[in-house]
Amino acid sequence: MSEAPAPDLSTSDEFLLNVGPQHPATHGVLRVVVTMDGEVVKDLQPHIGYVHRGLEKLFENRLYEQIIPYTDRTDYLSAIANNWAYVSAVERLLGLEIPKKVEYIRVLMAELNRINSHLLWLAAYGLDMGAFTPFLYAFRDREEITVMVEEASGGRLTTNYFRIGGFTRDLPASFFPHLQKFLRRFGRAVDELDTLLVENAIFVARTRGVGVISRERAISYGMTGPCLRASDAPLDVRREMPYSIYPSLDFEIPAGRNGDTWDRSWVRIEEMRQSLRILRQAAEGFPEGEHRVRVPRNLEPPAGEVYSAVEGPRGEVGFWVVSEGGRKPYRVKMRKPSFSNFSALPEILRGLKIADLVAVMGSLDLVVPEIDR
Amino acid sequence: MQVRPVDPAAQVSIEPSALRDALTFLRDEGFDFLVFVTALDRPAEGVIELVYRLFSYAARVPVVVRVRVPRDGGRVPSVCDLYRTAEWHERETAELFGVEFSGHPDPRRLLLPDDLEGYPLRKDFTHPNLKPLPEVSAE
Repeated sequence: MSEAPAPDLSTSDEFLLNVGPQHPATHGVLRVVVTMDGEVVKDLQPHIGYVHRGLEKLFENRLYEQIIPYTDRTDYLSAIANNWAYVSAVERLLGLEIPKKVEYIRVLMAELNRINSHLLWLAAYGLDMGAFTPFLYAFRDREEITVMVEEASGGRLTTNYFRIGGFTRDLPASFFPHLQKFLRRFGRAVDELDTLLVENAIFVARTRGVGVISRERAISYGMTGPCLRASDAPLDVRREMPYSIYPSLDFEIPAGRNGDTWDRSWVRIEEMRQSLRILRQAAEGFPEGEHRVRVPRNLEPPAGEVYSAVEGPRGEVGFWVVSEGGRKPYRVKMRKPSFSNFSALPEILRGLKIADLVAVMGSLDLVVPEIDR
Repeated sequence: MQVRPVDPAAQVSIEPSALRDALTFLRDEGFDFLVFVTALDRPAEGVIELVYRLFSYAARVPVVVRVRVPRDGGRVPSVCDLYRTAEWHERETAELFGVEFSGHPDPRRLLLPDDLEGYPLRKDFTHPNLKPLPEVSAE
C-alpha cells in the first residue's frame, strides 16, 4: 500500500493522474496512478490492499467447515468456484470418495456460475464502454440463473452452497424444468449479446489491437482464465489438471489469436456457448444416487497438505490447505486469478492512450476482494 | 487407519543459495507457470518455510520448491526476473511473513497499511482485533 516514488515532474511535460480508489471503472476499491505524457500512458502504478481483510489469518482460527462462507466473499461473482476449490481440498485431505451425483451437481452449478459471471462482466463492460443496452439484456438472463441457484441453495450471490462431502439437500424438483427452459432459450440470447456488444463496430474499433499481451508474457505474469486464453493459449484447469467429471465431457477451450482486448471479450462469449454444451451433457447424463457422503461431525483431517484448483470464471482458483491435525487448518493459501491478471496491467497499458485504460481494465474482469483477500 | 494425503506434486527442498539456479533450471525445463509463492511459519523450529509452486503447461505436471530460512533475518534471492508474477507474490510474502527478498526491484508493502507492526501470518502475531475462536467442545 506504500506510495510509489513520484517521478521527477519538474523537467518534463509529464503529469500524474490518479484513478480511484473510488472510480466507476475500477469496479471496486483499487487505485492506479498513471504517469501521463499528454494523452499517452508512460507508466502506471497499481495500488491494492484497500479491502484486505486478512482472510488467510482468519482461516487459521476457524474450523474447517466454518471457512466455506468466507470463500464466497472473496469473489462474490463466482462463489461456487471458490466453494468448490476449498471444499475439494479438504475432501482430498480427508480422503473422501465423492459420489457421482455430487460431481454432476457441482459441474452444473459451476457452469451456471461461469455464465452468470461472464454475463455480469459483459453488462458492466458495456457500461464502461458507453453501451447501456447490453446491461439490460444481460441482467434479464442473469435473473434466470440466479433463480435456479436460489432454489437449490437459498442464496442468490454468496450462496454458501457446497459442503465438505456433498450438499445439505438434493436439487429441488423444479431445477431441471427451469434448466431445460434456460437451455432452450439461452443459445439465442448469447448470439444476441454477441452482436449487441462484441461484434458492434464501435466496440471493435475501441478494442481491436488495443492492449496486446503475448502468450509468453501472459504466462510469466501468471495470468489464467480468459485473459490468458485470449493470447493464443488454450490452457484451462479443466484440461490441464482435470478434476471431477470434466474428462468425460465434450467441450472446447476457445482461444483468441492476438491477445488484445477484443480477444479477451470474444473468449468469454465463446465460453458461455461451451458452458451451455457442458450443461446439456451434464443434464442428460445426470445420475441417480446420494447427494452427499457422510462425514464425521468433528472434522479432523490428518496432517498433510493439498493444493486443489478449479477453473473459475476468471481463471485458476486454488486453495492450498495445510493440516497439522486438529479441527483448524494450519495454513490456507488462496491462489486467486485476479491477483495475477491485474499485476500485468502496467505492461499491457504502457504506451497506450488514457481512453484505453478503461477498455483494458474492464477486459481483465477484475474482482477486487479476491485481489486483496 | 488414515493415510497421509499426498500432494501429487514432486517436492524439492533446497538451500536459499541454490534457489535461483533451481528455478532457472526448472523454468528452462518447461515449468513456465509460477502458480504461487507463499510461506509457512514453523516457530518450534525457528524457521520460515518458503513454498514456490510451479506448473509445466507442456508436461502438465506441478512441482513444489521449498526453502527454509531462519525466522530472524531470513533472506532469499528474488526471482522476479525469472517469473514476472513473482514480483507481487514476493511483496505479499515479505510483508506477511517478514522474509527479505534480496534484489527485489520494488520492495514496498503490497496489501498492508504502512503503520501496521509485525508480520500477520506468523503464528505469534497479535493484534487487539484478533480474538481467538471460543473452543467448541467435542461431541
